[in-house]
Amino acid sequence: MAFDLNSLLAFIIFGVTIGVVYGIVALGISLIYSGLDIVHFAHGEMYMFGAFFGLVLAENVGLPYPVALVGAMIITAVVGMLVERVFYRRLTRAGGGYTVAGMGMIICGFGMSVAMVNVAYFIWGAEAEPFRANLDYIPRLQFPGDIEVPESYVLTAIISVILMFTLHYFLRYTKPGLAVRAVAHNKDIAYLMGINVPLMISLIFGVACALAAAAGVLIGPMQSVQVEMGYLMLMKAFAAAVVGGFGSLPGAIIGGIMVGVFENLGAAYISASHKDIYAFLLLILVLMIKPSGLFGVEAKVKA
Amino acid sequence: MLQVNDVHAGYGNLKILRGVDMSISDGGIVTLLGGNGTGKSTLLKAISGLIPLMKGQITFDGLDISKLKPHERVRLGIVQVTQAKEAYPAMSVEENLVLGAYTRKDREAIKVDLERVYDFFPVLRERRKQMSGTLSGGEVQMLVIGRGMMAKPKMLMLDEPSAALAPKVVLEIFANINRIAKSGVTILIVEQNVRMALILAQYGYIIRDGIILIEGNADMLIKDPAVKESFLGGSVADVSRGLNKK
Repeated sequence: MAFDLNSLLAFIIFGVTIGVVYGIVALGISLIYSGLDIVHFAHGEMYMFGAFFGLVLAENVGLPYPVALVGAMIITAVVGMLVERVFYRRLTRAGGGYTVAGMGMIICGFGMSVAMVNVAYFIWGAEAEPFRANLDYIPRLQFPGDIEVPESYVLTAIISVILMFTLHYFLRYTKPGLAVRAVAHNKDIAYLMGINVPLMISLIFGVACALAAAAGVLIGPMQSVQVEMGYLMLMKAFAAAVVGGFGSLPGAIIGGIMVGVFENLGAAYISASHKDIYAFLLLILVLMIKPSGLFGVEAKVKA
Repeated sequence: MLQVNDVHAGYGNLKILRGVDMSISDGGIVTLLGGNGTGKSTLLKAISGLIPLMKGQITFDGLDISKLKPHERVRLGIVQVTQAKEAYPAMSVEENLVLGAYTRKDREAIKVDLERVYDFFPVLRERRKQMSGTLSGGEVQMLVIGRGMMAKPKMLMLDEPSAALAPKVVLEIFANINRIAKSGVTILIVEQNVRMALILAQYGYIIRDGIILIEGNADMLIKDPAVKESFLGGSVADVSRGLNKK
């Protein structure tokens, strides 16, 4: 492909947009990591479930797209909290983190991932479903040099920014947000502050799953919705979280954007058929230079 | 106020407390003394609910709290101040203090109490916007005590507030603990600095190997030859003078 500045700009714009979505999923993974000290391997499936819930609400129920988005977020949050309450809690209570005791948690996450994929097959079948959202009221963006950004990308950018600022405001300026940060840092002390720690952990899990669902509904109109979509998203979001520094929330977003841009540029200028490799190339590069990730703070300053 | 009856507790299969009895009445300062690994902190955790009881019962104001979760006990007025290193380093001093009042809804009174904490520990007012991770050891200790005050406790439990601090700072902190007690809060203080603790407190318990060895009035314990032999050395007069100056 011939190199010109306009198409470079276009690749970067699309890369940033898709990257922000990776970032939102990564944000959830980072939140869960901060709050529960576990890496949630079934988070890709939460994203997939969210996409399907959004699809059902928009196409079958006939809700407008933004309402379907919010609806999918709420339903997925409830599913997530249920999963946490029923399956993960007894394992996290045993503690362990990354020690041998924590292995149970990791295996449980994988198991949950497989189980959820199969439940999804059972309900929605193996075919990829197109997500035809009516987005006529969203303007297309025109950039100099004939770059046109479609509605779904514009909407994704807007909603992602709203979600990020809402989360930031929630964590920084509200009382439950303060409690979430306290729980993320140290559960025992949070308990001694009078914080209902198990409730806050449920809340963290719900928020993280709602974010994943939002990402699913946002990706829906760009690609299509299918049962196996969660696996690749988990990998990309995981790469984004690690690139940004695990546990760091701004790092998750920046990492997501970097992964998005990097893979779009790689697809454009190196080879489009290996698009999914570039995220991990970036991951390896960053880890070689800065093993704690770009924003990984050694002193465990989380959330 | 607080009744501890035959409490057994520990971690996993490791039993640390082996039948502790304790009775703390309203008001004043009670100290719990003992060497390393004797079960002091474990007893505090059992009272605040961070670890479950294996056996026995704890009642607070006549209410059985043995099965309550830690945050429910905080609502009843049992507040544990953890050791100094455990502030939230990524939160500002003021955020830490506000977090201490997490269970309260009375916004105006919280503001008044915040001012009160700043009056007790003026250095915290100077540093209120600073991340608490940047404070010195003594300042963090003041912060965690202030944070405990913000919860409006009926009983405040302090875990070694003098640990690893300079004598001058310890005096300031102990003087303020005295002020808190005078304002009507019952205080249970765990200490390794036995001499100072016995001067500050009215009543003392000495724990060893998970059981209460001796208990009694502080002025009696300080003269007790057994206590003297195992814990005390030197004169108590200089410390006493230091406290009274405040």
